[in-house]
Amino acid sequence: MTDNELIKLPVDYLPVHVQASVRETGLVKWLLIIISTLFLGFFLFIPLITVFAEAFRKGIAEYFNAFSDPAAIAAIRLTLITALIAIPANLIFGLAASWSIARFNFPGKNILITLIDLPFAISPVISGFIFVLFFGLQGWLGPWLAENDIKIIFAIPGIVLATIFVTFPFVARELIPLMQEQGNEEEQAAMLLGASGWKTFWKVTLPNVKWALLYGVILCNARAMGEFGAVSVVSGHIRGKTNTIPLHVEILYNEYNFVAAFAVASLLAFLALLTLAVKSIIEWKYKHP
Amino acid sequence: MKFKFKKYSPLPGFGLTFGYTIFYLSLIVLIPLAALFFKSFSLTWHQFWDTVTDIRVLASYKLTFMAAFIAALINAVFGFIVAWILVRYQFPGKKFIDALVDLPFALPTAVSGIALTTIYSKNGWIGQILEPIGIKTAFSPLGIMIALTFIGLPFVVRSLQPALDDLDLEVEEAAACLGANCWQTFYKVILPAVLPSLLTGFALAFARGLGEYGSVVFISGNMPLKTEITSLLIISKLEQYDYAGATAIAVVMLIISFVLLLLINLLQSWNNRRVNNGGVN
Amino acid sequence: MSIIIHNISKKFGAFTALNNINLNIPTGHLVALLGPSGCGKTTLLRIIAGLETADTGKVEFEGDDYFSPVVYGKRIGFVFQHYALFRHMNVFENVAFGLRVKPRKSRLSKAEIKDRVFSLLRLVQMEHLSDHYPGQLSGGQRQRVALARVLAIEPKVLLLDEPFGALDARVRQELRRWLKKLHDEIHVTSIFVTHDQEEAMEVADQVVVMNEGKIEQVGTPEEVYHKPASGFVYNFLGNVNLFHGRIEHGQIHIGEISMEWPENELVINEDSHEQLKTATVFLRPHLLEIDKSPNYKSSFRAKIKHINAAGSQVKIELVASWGDSIVAEISHERFKELQLKKNMEVYVSFDKQNLFITPGLLT
Repeated sequence: MTDNELIKLPVDYLPVHVQASVRETGLVKWLLIIISTLFLGFFLFIPLITVFAEAFRKGIAEYFNAFSDPAAIAAIRLTLITALIAIPANLIFGLAASWSIARFNFPGKNILITLIDLPFAISPVISGFIFVLFFGLQGWLGPWLAENDIKIIFAIPGIVLATIFVTFPFVARELIPLMQEQGNEEEQAAMLLGASGWKTFWKVTLPNVKWALLYGVILCNARAMGEFGAVSVVSGHIRGKTNTIPLHVEILYNEYNFVAAFAVASLLAFLALLTLAVKSIIEWKYKHP
Repeated sequence: MKFKFKKYSPLPGFGLTFGYTIFYLSLIVLIPLAALFFKSFSLTWHQFWDTVTDIRVLASYKLTFMAAFIAALINAVFGFIVAWILVRYQFPGKKFIDALVDLPFALPTAVSGIALTTIYSKNGWIGQILEPIGIKTAFSPLGIMIALTFIGLPFVVRSLQPALDDLDLEVEEAAACLGANCWQTFYKVILPAVLPSLLTGFALAFARGLGEYGSVVFISGNMPLKTEITSLLIISKLEQYDYAGATAIAVVMLIISFVLLLLINLLQSWNNRRVNNGGVN
Repeated sequence: MSIIIHNISKKFGAFTALNNINLNIPTGHLVALLGPSGCGKTTLLRIIAGLETADTGKVEFEGDDYFSPVVYGKRIGFVFQHYALFRHMNVFENVAFGLRVKPRKSRLSKAEIKDRVFSLLRLVQMEHLSDHYPGQLSGGQRQRVALARVLAIEPKVLLLDEPFGALDARVRQELRRWLKKLHDEIHVTSIFVTHDQEEAMEVADQVVVMNEGKIEQVGTPEEVYHKPASGFVYNFLGNVNLFHGRIEHGQIHIGEISMEWPENELVINEDSHEQLKTATVFLRPHLLEIDKSPNYKSSFRAKIKHINAAGSQVKIELVASWGDSIVAEISHERFKELQLKKNMEVYVSFDKQNLFITPGLLT
């Protein structure tokens, strides 16, 4: 049933004086839609357009020029490496956590769910900072790491760790509520039909949560590639070595190299649009299985 | 009878998955977080108190809280309207707007930061209109509020949408609301019904605003005592190798985050109870 | 394969779901676990399947001691109340599942699996819907797919949890007869759980009546109906009139009637050996007779409150002279002959042979 039907249908049944005021809702409706559109336009749409407008301000050649910079290429590479480690790590965790939480009963379950969500509640700067405290020179493991010549902070491992931390809950929090809602009768049925635990998981559990899983992964990916605060604290900003795409954007912007900054930023904006598109498709798929 | 941690289930794999969950959670989240608290114990109470009540730090709290609060308030109002039109009305471009609401989740904060700064600086699209009439947005607290409004919007809209979707009969009547009674219907019927969701959305947006860094750092200008948010202060302490100072401020912010998290959980369980009781309470 | 259940007990917190259950189910039987909701019948079924563990006791399959929580590979066919069909697989894939997940060595070839699945789908009359998904099927169709799915693994035991519970009355009737016929064909030891006595009587060849975690009676449908072991069984297996009587000097008094009842029968409290002062008397509505004048010794006066003549028998609600409500069922011929009307005073009589009496008060 569409919303239009909901509003139009009752009109015929209402007394005349009420019908008039129902027609007024049409006015209210469009007023609210216009307010929303203006608000979203100012706060969301214009910033989005600005990224692309600024990126192409000096033409296409200048736009692509930004990507010939070796530092930009290095930043893209590092971002991809980081995402390629962080996503599988959090994916495996998400599957393990959702299986243990949604398929079994044990005390303290709600506390565990809250703890899994914890990284979302923590400021990105603090998320990075805790790793500096742990692995940095003045940190707990710092002296030992320095002795053995292992670099974590101001190096790639630190960036990966901070990224894993900030994207930690994404997959798990998509899977847990869905699997709890679906219940485990299908898995019980599969096992009684002779399937082993693994086969039950691969053939029954996974296909039932595949869209939620994909959803969690694309959100995790968007955040992993775009994380700024946490990564900024642990990276050390060594150009060409420990800069991810967002950090590279920051450097270019602070050097007043706006076209290049927005050109590189447009990559991330494009990724965001792709994420939103995939998300919309998944939501549609979920409603029309 | 022997105490069993887990209730019996015919499905296998609890030990492996539960063990791995605890292991990974400890390794990535709990142990590093604990490190922060242990570090703060190395400070004397005096040092700690002096650091977290320093005038520059206090100014940053005030700014961060005010900006996050006002931004969350703006989002509560406009987010409500956006959620309302998305749930109640059919209009061209609705799918686009629905998708656009999630943009702040998907767009990296650094990108939104430089985009907002460019728009609201004095040569920008909006800045060049506002600046001549005396409204300075970029590099002022107003700019910080704008950035936090951008960041927080989806939280309010996404919290409210399911709640508004669940309203049925009351909303029918409200949609056909009668002139002067319209407002009464709104704040006597609709608002109480969706209040927990609205407050949850507000609290989520507020919590996110308190810790936000990427989108604010460009537009704020970062002037100590004026436009320096707490997250930035932690970073500048770190850059001066003042780990103790950074730790103290971080601990304060973390505790505030945890309190907010607790509050949000309470709000959500309140909401769940109401839903399970058929909304009688 | 026969199933022997030894001393099974199960508690959920403070609630006793099963209290020392012993049961022997011979090969090839079709057994109904019958009882009101909360009597432990589903818990017992789940323990037999291995989906739940018992606190004490064990389940043996044909002497093969089975108490392992590992449920797979046991060839136990379990049909869930809500079918638990795999929602992302179509009917064919659902039925083929048990054949496809076998270890490679014992797995059939693709062509053989296809043949087997289609022969099963023919058996449950679902051949034409093999490419449909569970979401597109009706309740009865899902039930039949669920059955075909468990039959695919050639189960040694078939367990069904409220197999007709979620269906509407007409489909339920049809599936009952169909299940009975199916069992006659494949003859696999089957247990089904139901709270519907009619269903249990019609389908099963052995009925296990359960109440509050205990077995009240085991027997053929005729046995449990005609020779109930307890007031509960008599009460649960059909409509019943229930009277509370006083016992004095070998006589039971109910309102204005009294009957001789030997004191050494039934009316002894086992624990205290004290003589009980009360008894509960049960009588089925169709065993009551209505007359315009008293003809037996044990007849009493009653007033007609309501008449329902829609049905194979005429249902008459009366109020006895001492105030109890009574329901009687008489034939349409007798009803016409007597020309009964509302508010008419009549005499109700019964044959003492048909009474069922238990000591104490039962409500």
